[in-house]
Order: sequence, then C-alpha cells, then structure tokens
Amino acid sequence: MFFRIIRGAVTRQKQKLLMMACTMALGISLATAMLNVMLDVGDKVNQELKTYGANIMVEPRGASILSDLYGVQEGAGVADKFLLEDELPKIKTIFWAFNIVDFTPYLDVRAGVNGSEHQVTLLGTWFAKHLDIPTGESIDTGINNLKAWWEIRGDRSSQGKWLSDDDETGVMAGAAFAARNALKVGDVIKVAVTDAGGRERAADLTIRSIYHAGDAEDEGLLAPLAVVQRLSGLENKIRRIEVSALTTPENDLARRAAQNPHSLSRHEWEIWYCTAYVSAIAYQIDEVLTDSRAKPVLQVAASEGAILEKTQLLMLLLTILSLACSALAISNLVTANVMERSTEIGLIKALGASDGQISLLVLTEMLIATIIGGIIGYFAGIGLAQVIGQSVFGSAVDIKGLVIPIIAILVLLVTIGGSLPAIRLLLRLRPTEVLHGR
Amino acid sequence: MSKNILELHDVSMIYGPVKALQNITLSVQQGEWLAIMGSSGSGKTTMMNIVGCMNKATHGVVVLDGEKISRLNAKDLTAIRRDKIGLIFQQFHLISYLTAVENVMIAQYYHSLADEKEALEALERVGLGHRARHLPRQLSGGEQQRLCIARALINHPKLILADEPTGNLDEANQETVMNIFHQLHAQGSTIIVVTHSPEVAAHARRVVHLEYGRMIRDEVNVECPAA
Amino acid sequence: MKPQKMYFKIILSSLVRRRSRMVVALLAVAVGATVFLGMGAVYYDIPRQMGREFRSYGANMILVSSGADSNLSLAEASRAEALIPPEKLVGATPFRYETMYYNLQGLTVVGTDMQSARKTSPYWQVQGEWPSAENQLLLGTDISENARLYAGSFVELEIVPPRGRKFKKEFQITGVIRSGGVEDGFVLMPLGAVENLLGQPGRASVIEMSIAADSDELTLLAEKIQAEAPGVTPRLVKRIMNSEATVLSKLQVLVYLVTAVVLFLTMICVGTTMMTVVMERRQEIGLKKAIGAENKSIIGEFLGEGLVLAGVGGLLGIGSGYFFAQAVSMSVFGRGVSLPFFLIALTLAASLVVTVLASLLPVTRATDVEPSLVLRGE
Repeated sequence: MFFRIIRGAVTRQKQKLLMMACTMALGISLATAMLNVMLDVGDKVNQELKTYGANIMVEPRGASILSDLYGVQEGAGVADKFLLEDELPKIKTIFWAFNIVDFTPYLDVRAGVNGSEHQVTLLGTWFAKHLDIPTGESIDTGINNLKAWWEIRGDRSSQGKWLSDDDETGVMAGAAFAARNALKVGDVIKVAVTDAGGRERAADLTIRSIYHAGDAEDEGLLAPLAVVQRLSGLENKIRRIEVSALTTPENDLARRAAQNPHSLSRHEWEIWYCTAYVSAIAYQIDEVLTDSRAKPVLQVAASEGAILEKTQLLMLLLTILSLACSALAISNLVTANVMERSTEIGLIKALGASDGQISLLVLTEMLIATIIGGIIGYFAGIGLAQVIGQSVFGSAVDIKGLVIPIIAILVLLVTIGGSLPAIRLLLRLRPTEVLHGR
Repeated sequence: MSKNILELHDVSMIYGPVKALQNITLSVQQGEWLAIMGSSGSGKTTMMNIVGCMNKATHGVVVLDGEKISRLNAKDLTAIRRDKIGLIFQQFHLISYLTAVENVMIAQYYHSLADEKEALEALERVGLGHRARHLPRQLSGGEQQRLCIARALINHPKLILADEPTGNLDEANQETVMNIFHQLHAQGSTIIVVTHSPEVAAHARRVVHLEYGRMIRDEVNVECPAA
Repeated sequence: MKPQKMYFKIILSSLVRRRSRMVVALLAVAVGATVFLGMGAVYYDIPRQMGREFRSYGANMILVSSGADSNLSLAEASRAEALIPPEKLVGATPFRYETMYYNLQGLTVVGTDMQSARKTSPYWQVQGEWPSAENQLLLGTDISENARLYAGSFVELEIVPPRGRKFKKEFQITGVIRSGGVEDGFVLMPLGAVENLLGQPGRASVIEMSIAADSDELTLLAEKIQAEAPGVTPRLVKRIMNSEATVLSKLQVLVYLVTAVVLFLTMICVGTTMMTVVMERRQEIGLKKAIGAENKSIIGEFLGEGLVLAGVGGLLGIGSGYFFAQAVSMSVFGRGVSLPFFLIALTLAASLVVTVLASLLPVTRATDVEPSLVLRGE
C-alpha cells in the first residue's frame, strides 16, 4: 500500500514533483560545478602562472658566484664552467618529469657587431627545439613559451615571430641595442666572437625581428644555440638552463629540505622527494645533469605558491558558500513543499497513519524527486564545470570521482534536513484543524 | 413586493460529457427563503456556483436583480458578487491570518471601505462580539460559521447564498445558525440555502428538489411556522 | 478606516500570523541576497585584493637615473615616489651597488633599506636575522657556501673609498639570504653603512618599486613620473606587469563565471521557493475572489507582501553577505573587503525583482482560475 500511495503521489502530482526535481537539479549542478572547478583550480592556475617564466635555474656547480654580476668581466677564470647540451633531454626523465613544462639552455658570449669596439651579449638558446626523450616521448621546448611577456616586432614577412632553431643566418636584436645602433628588421650585421683559443670567428646574420623584454636582454642579441656554439667554438656547451615546472606550494618540510636535503629523516625525505616541491624538482635535476646546481628562482617559485594558496582558499570558501546556500535553498524548498501538503497529511493522519508512517511517506516522495533531480543536476554540473574550464582556462576541467559521494551525502542530508522540521510542524497540528483549513 | 430577484431561464451546465444541470427554469422573489435540495451529484453545488456568479452556465439566461449575469465577463461577475451576493460555505473558508473582525472587514474593504465599528456590530448580531479579536483557528465550528454569516451580511447583499451551511456543525450550532437565518428572513433578506438535509430544508419557505441535474419538484413548505 | 490602512493590516497580518511559512520565504530571500552580496563583493574586490597578492612577485617599476652617470639622487627619486598614490605604493627600495673585497676577491655589496626591501622583495628567504646595525650584513647564499661563512660569524671586508686610503672593517653576518636570483651572490648591508664607508650620501643605483596597480595604471604612472620628476627615468618591469595582467584577468573571469552561475542558480532556487509558498495559498485567493475581491486587489496584496519580504530578506542577506565577504577577505587575503554602495542597492533590487516575479507568477495564475474550482479544493 505504501508504494501505491507513493506511486499515486508521484504520478498524480507530477507538476509539483517536477518543480522540486528541477530545483534540486539546479542546486546539485551548482554544487557539482563548484566542487569540480574548486578541486581543479590549483592545477589550472598553476598552468597560468607559468607565464611568469622559469622557476628553476640550472648552472654549472661552482660557477655562479661571479658570473652574472654587474660589471664583472667573464673570462677571469671563474665563469669557464659549462653544462652539456646533449644531457638536456635527461631533464624529462626525472621523477617529476611530467611536471616539467618547458626548459631552455643558454650560452652567452661577448660579440662585436659590425666591427665595433663596444661588445654586446650574444645569447644562444633554443626557440622551439624538437627533442626525442629517452623514454620515447618527444617534446618541443625552448624560449618561446618561457618568455610570454616579451614583445616581438618584425616586418611583414617575419610577422614578429621567434626565430626557428635551424635558422643559421638569423638573429633577433634587443630593442635597446637596435635603437642605439639604428638597426631595423632585415638589416644584415656582422657578428664577431673571439673563441676560447683566441681566434676571431665572424658571421653575417640578418635581423629577423626585434624583441622588447623590459630587461637587460634588451641590450643584446639572441640567436639559435647552435649558431652561438659554432661562433664561439663551444660546441655542446651551455652556460645555464631555465626550467619551468609545475610545483606544489612549499611548506615547512620543503623549506627545511631546501636548506639541506640531508637533514631530513628517511621518511621525511621520501615524502619530500615524491612531492612536486620546487626544491625536490631542483634536486632531481641536479641528480641527472653532470656537475650542475639547480636553484629554485624564489621570486617565481615562492610567489607562485602564495598565489596558488590564495586562489585555492578563495575558491574553497566560495564553494562552501555556494554549497551552503544551495543546501539552504533546497531544504527550504523541501520545507515549503511539505508545508503545502498540510491538508493531505492531515487526512492521512485522520485515517490513522502513525507519525512514523507519515514521515516515511513524505521523505520517500521527497527523496524520489531529489534523486531524479540529483542525477540530472550532476551531469548538468559537469557540463557547467566544462564551460567554466573552457572559457576561463581554455582546457577541460578534470572531473573528480570524489565529487559524487560528496554530492550524494549533501543531497541526502539536505532533503532529510529540509523535510524533518516541516513534518514535525505538520504532525503537531491536529488532523481536524488541518482538514478544516484553519 | 413580488419583484423577482433571481430568474433562471432554461439553464444548463455541461462539462464535457457530464450534464451537471439540465434546463433549469426558476424564479425567486425578493424576501423569499428557498432551499435547493438534492443528494450528492444532483447538481446543487453547480447551481449555487452559477447563481453565486462563480461559474457561468453553458446555456440559458440568468438574471440577478435585473442584470443578465450569464452574459457578463469575469471582471463584472466579480463586481456583481461583491455588490449583490453574500456567500456562506460549508468549509467556512476564513482567512487564517486575520482576526474575526478583520475577516469581516476584508469583505467591506473589497466592497468599499472597511469600517471597524460596523464590522463589530455585525459580529454582535451573530453573537460573536466577544470573539472579535480571535483568529479563526481559535473559534469553534459554530462560531466560524457565524463569522461567515457576519461576513456575508456586511455589505447588505440582495441575496444570501449558503452552501451546506450546517454541514460541518453539530446540532446545537445548526440550531444557532438556523435561528440567525430566521431573523434575516424576518428582516426581509432573500436567502437561498443549498443542502442535502431535509432538516435544514424544512426551515425554508420553499424547497426545490434536484436530481441528476434536473429540477423534479418545486414546493411551498406548508408546515412552516411563520409562513 | 482608510483603504491603505486596511491594506497594510492585511499584509502585516499575513506576514506576522503565518510565521512558519513566512520564515521559509524570508530565509529563501535572505539566502539569495547573501549569495548576491557576498559573491558580488568578492568579485568586485578580486582585482584589488589579488593585485596585492601579486605584489609578492616583487617590483614592477624601477627608477634609474636619466643622467649620464648611473647614480640616482634619492631626493629626486622621492619626488617621483610622491607622484604615486600612497595607498597603491607597497614599497620603494633604493639599491646602491658598490664593490668591496674579501680575501682580495671583489664582492658586490648592495646598500639598501632593509625594512623596505622586505616589502618589495617578499620572496627573499633569510636564514638568521635581518641586519639592524651598521656593522651587520646579510650574505648571499652562494658566497656563504663558497667562503664557508655562516650566520653569526664575522667577516672582515676591505673597503676602497673613492678618496682616501683603503681600510678594513669587521662585520657581523646576521643572516644568509637566498632568492635563487642575483642576490645569492651579493652582500647586503644597510644603505647608511655604505654611505658612511664610501661617502656620497643620498645616492642609489636603482630604486625598485612595488605598486599595486594594473598595467594601464602603471603605464600612466610611468609617463607621469617621466614628465614631472626630472633626473629620474621610470622603467616598467614587463615580465611582472604583463604576466600579472594575464593571470589576474583569468582569475577574474573565473570568479566572474562562478559568481554568475551561483547567482543565476540561487535566484532560481529562491524563485521556486517563493512560488511554492504562494501556490499553497490558492484557496485563499479563491476565497478572496468569491467574496468579491478584484484580481488587481489580490495581486496588490501579494505584491505588498512580496515587497516586505524582499526588503526584510534583502536587508538580512546584505548583512550576512557582508559578513561572509568580510570573512572570506580576512581569511584569504588578511584584509577587509571594500563594499561599494551600488552593490547594496543592486542586491536589494535583485531581491525585489526575484521575489515579486516569483510571487506574482503563481498569483496571476491562481486569479485566472474560477473561484468555485479553487474553493472545492481542486
């Protein structure tokens, strides 16, 4: 009989139940979307923060002390240490290889331009180098993605593009350098470099584009790594590597490890090593490159952590608000719905139903509406999350299975929590009062 | 004296296949007390709804106080209902959140102007003066029905329409309500009571019997004491 | 009794005497208004608050000398600083680069304002203490490792002043600084100390400024400084400025979308609740019609109720929404939220519109039904 009443109520009160289910679906879709976005926002924002460029700098061990200081001339016996270019693919073989987004090597030499006395920095790098990794993958990596803030101006043919790595006669000029020497795109300059043996090698290079970095690089020239290596006779040698990696915000453990990884206990060390802390990734890069010293660039790494934490906390709080509100709104609606049916409940009670039976009846009805609404809402919510992911970050939001149980518990709690006070209120009324519409 | 307050000419009410009323012709004079009697499904509530301007008949002509209400639109019907008819329901239908006197005043308010003094007098007349500030749920069934009567009377309607006014009342309360009807009748009000109870119908001066939507008898109640 | 008075009496009675129902309706409106104001305030405040957080990336404008010598006069620089609204200026730190010698090896010594440097370069990690006296310094971590000098120990530096004889002075290393950048190879000491040792007070090589402003504003500020502060050339740190613009705009779109979705859905939830509460009263509407109320009086009464509910619920929601926004802002950013007046007005307006629409829809539907049907409980 119980089921008969339920069936009757469900089929004959279609409209009301439908409205309930629709509202439920809305609330649940909101909760699903918010939870999914919230759980994925860390990864997404982390990707976005890569626009600040490299967060790990790799240099030859022992070379860093005087290399890039103001006014200190290189070649004074301190800076002649190099890393090896052919070891670079190994960076993509470390434990956290998947988190390495981009990296690029640099080799800087002093060069005379068009026979001028005043020497400028000629920087060799990868632009979008295609690499085959020992693990079988292949990637394209280089400076293109690491310097998102650089403005590159070219003429009509180059359209302000980066060089290509196999362009043997091309060069990019820094804006300040170009302005001082009245150079423009398309000009051919003679670049002369004195190699390690003291011999001067020169090449005619065409300026393909002019870059504005807002930094010291504006005073120099940028060329493919191979060209610079050939001119300077430093084949296979590089001075430093910039690495951009997705990292986890640092905590106490990470800070202690950064000072000295060996001060950790075995257990702590394992946790640290297997977490994508910037210090752990730097340590792992150290392990694969000969005589290297990888340092987190704290300006990027630490700030990244701060922004990430704030964003995640913000989203968490907004999610809690929207969850609480949709819970309140739904339970409120359930309450309103139950109250509306006071006459019916009074009648059933007059017919001799016990309070327990009535509560069960109402709850079952509400749950049916809720479950239908919940299922629809869940899928609608996934859709909403994707809309948000696509329109904000241009990539799909990762759907977490964790959301389903959270939603299920939420729905149950909300429905029961919304029904019970209303049912209690109605049960307190005497059946005659309800029936007589008082 | 013998002016017709209500005339029904060949009135029918058909809901799809159901013929709720068929070819009813009836006239009611001013000051008459008429009972419409019949069992459930005889069409008496339908008739009351038509007369009370809450439904329009599908066929036929209804004239209330000289106006052909069967040709009026919903808005004008509302106005007629407000000005000429006092309705009393079996289920009382009071507004739960208004006190007794406010329930009376709301009828005044929709009609013209709410006048608390007049409303209190009306309650006095049905013996509810001491309960004026109570909410409907604090009143007994009889009191609620008397409140309904007070509300129905407040705008001095041409016609009082009561649908099973004692259906939800015990005998003592039925007695009280009937006494009020007798007083109203004595004062010259026109009353139509719809009922299935011969006991209630017996108070009326004229009884119309309905069966399956047809009028089968129209008799004058000879036993009536004050005929 | 005046009609208005009766009108208010009806509305008030309905609100006060149908308490449990009205609480439900009120709660619905209040929840809606809370979300509206809370999310609205957070969304509105995001650029300002997040912009501040992005200052942890450090300076976004530097001042250099426009003259031929690379030294900047601090007096001229402070005129430039004065052009920046003080509430936007997170910090301005002078840096003076000099060379001193340790064991005959040249070291870059940076004289700076330690207090201010902590604001403009919050990412510096110092192991030990920051220097507080003129004979104290911070050692870059690379130097510390190479020279095996650590926090707490003393170091003797040889100083060659522009005029006069070179001399030696002992310093206490209060801490080791680590940044992953050039600072790792520097020695940092208070600007006053450098001035005392080498003379030429009131000069700096560069001034780093951290300004809470977006790129358009920064560009304007830079132009203003260029035009109005002689001797000073401002340079924008493109990397910081442009990247911040990119990331911040994404974050703002994110919060915008989330806010839009939450608002839309909440408003619908509020609407359906209001509709349910009103639909319950079809009988009452039927009765009122039966006793002669015109449709417009009935609608007017529900409108009045709706307005009161929306007003009270809206005000409650504004209170709790502000509380919520404040709580979010305090716990995420550690700063209070700024609440513009138009947002409050908008919240009230939204509450009114949603409530009135949601209650009028079922009322007009109920008034269209013939009262006899409603009264019979169909």
